[in-house]
Amino acid sequence: MTQPVSQRALIRPARSAPAVQPAATPLAEEAAELRREILRALFATGGGHYGGSLSVIDLLLTLYRRQLRVCPEQPRHPLRDRLILSKGHAAIALYAVLRRLAYFSEPLSAYATFGSPLEGHPDMLQLPGVDFSTGSLGQGLSVGLGVALALRTTEPTTEPATEPTGAPATEPSGEPAEHAEQAPRTWVVLGDGECQEGQIWEAAMLAAQQQLGHLHAVIDHNRFQEWGWSPPAGHREPREAQAPAPPVAELAAKWRAFGWRVLEVDGHDLDALERTFAQAASSQPFDPPSVVIAHTVKGKGVPMVEQDPARFHCATVTAAEHQTLLASLPCP
Amino acid sequence: MKLADHCGRLLAEHGDHAPRLRVLDGDLADSDGAIHFATRHPARFLMGGIAEQNLVSVAAGMADTGLAPWVFSFAAFLCFRAYDQIRVCLSQARQPVVLVGSHAGGLSGRNGKSHAAPNDLALLLSLPGVQVWAPGDCADTALAVRTLVADPAPAYLRFPRTPIDEVHGLPGQPAPLRWLTPRRPLALVSTGLASHWALAAAQLLAAWGLEASVLHCARLAPLGALGEELRGVRRIFVIEDHCTFGGLGSLVHGLGLAAPVQVLGWPRDYCGQSGKDEELLTAYGLTAPLLAQTIRTAVADPTRS
Repeated sequence: MTQPVSQRALIRPARSAPAVQPAATPLAEEAAELRREILRALFATGGGHYGGSLSVIDLLLTLYRRQLRVCPEQPRHPLRDRLILSKGHAAIALYAVLRRLAYFSEPLSAYATFGSPLEGHPDMLQLPGVDFSTGSLGQGLSVGLGVALALRTTEPTTEPATEPTGAPATEPSGEPAEHAEQAPRTWVVLGDGECQEGQIWEAAMLAAQQQLGHLHAVIDHNRFQEWGWSPPAGHREPREAQAPAPPVAELAAKWRAFGWRVLEVDGHDLDALERTFAQAASSQPFDPPSVVIAHTVKGKGVPMVEQDPARFHCATVTAAEHQTLLASLPCP
Repeated sequence: MKLADHCGRLLAEHGDHAPRLRVLDGDLADSDGAIHFATRHPARFLMGGIAEQNLVSVAAGMADTGLAPWVFSFAAFLCFRAYDQIRVCLSQARQPVVLVGSHAGGLSGRNGKSHAAPNDLALLLSLPGVQVWAPGDCADTALAVRTLVADPAPAYLRFPRTPIDEVHGLPGQPAPLRWLTPRRPLALVSTGLASHWALAAAQLLAAWGLEASVLHCARLAPLGALGEELRGVRRIFVIEDHCTFGGLGSLVHGLGLAAPVQVLGWPRDYCGQSGKDEELLTAYGLTAPLLAQTIRTAVADPTRS
């Protein structure tokens, strides 16, 4: 269990530096294993967000295994890259990856059960590796913006936010710190449904105005949300007769219009994801912020979930169904 | 001077020696006090746009890296527009962001109901781990700012639109909780701007031969020893620039004291409206003479003691 903020702030930087955490097994194999762990955990806890966890898992795994410089033995290392899972309902996918990286050892089967640090939605005060608490949609990009702004103009620190009386003041110059090349980057993983929240666009506007090149959004664009749009009242065709509309139409055009650099990628092609994340991370501190729109499939890898995204947004399955879900994954 | 202005000035001075201080504002810097910090420390000031939800979450992100952000706006736009962000990013995540809400309470001048915040305390007092301060004068304000600069915490400072200049301070030394007059069996318990109303009412009551004391709460959360201070008091009137539910009155009721408690504030159906302070206070029975009259009548009523 992590310590409260006030105590955590006193932790001194460790000797180890943040680094990309490579896997012992090929990434595709690990992704399949994590899918299996997600299914087991959701069944053990009595249900949960199958669709969105299975669509986002390849993004999270590739980020943590190929892109993010982190330090699991010191989860709050000041120079680490940050990842905020703004679509917090996919918590089990984040937990599965963080556990692989040895941030904690609690079993995933304890997910969302009383007394477990694996809260139903990510809780930074409970679980090491969770960079910010999320769950109420729409807030993570703003938090990431604040983190990225702070990291751009100040030396990262875990010192308490106060200074002894009389300490000399240093006015930030507004220029990037000298460590700019190695400066931490902040990644925020959003849902496409989440992009209906107005706060996302408040943050998008300010991040572009501030030219926050080290802020990266990643959108799990699986094209489904819990219920989905209804046709306008009085529309000729009933809801059932219409092709499902994506949560946000013209997603790329909207981000571009807000001043972001937009990269699009197949969200289940692990090599392409790695390249795209690296491309996003080639930005300088005062470049425009970038967004990776990852085209994903809700429930990816498990046909029964893929075929019924509405049911499996948040679902409970029988023991027999659970076996069917597991059996559809490649054998370990 | 408005107390929020005073807060901004003090914070700008603290900024000389506290390099981690940051001020964020939602395009009201010249009205809410942030201007003083913005002028003195431009590189540490962020005009975040008219987007209070984003502003609060951005501040939380800054706090998580070790900075000490203060967010300025009108109380109504911080507390109501960004309540969920305060709940999740400050209260639940325990991020030490200080919110400065000017134009708090029921008096909003020409602005009227959209800009009034007569129930801000009801929202903020119910959030775990968030300090709530309602300074009544410049000295109180200095205490609150000094305390939160030295020891950052999730906090809300509520300031009235009504100016309170430095020569019209409340009696005594600033403290989270203090008696403004000698303790007596009849106590007026008040907070923020309303402590001036309570003091004036007590003076009128004294002239009528009814001795009442005034207990001023500059900090409402954590509440401190309010219950102990009121032990032995026979009759309590809470006077506040807040609706009669969810503010100081509710806190005093919650103490479970033996003494009867009556709350004098904005009625439950008050949304705020345009008007001069005196006009609004008269209409709702909150001028010193009207408060004193209400108290005298209530005390004289044998069925209510």
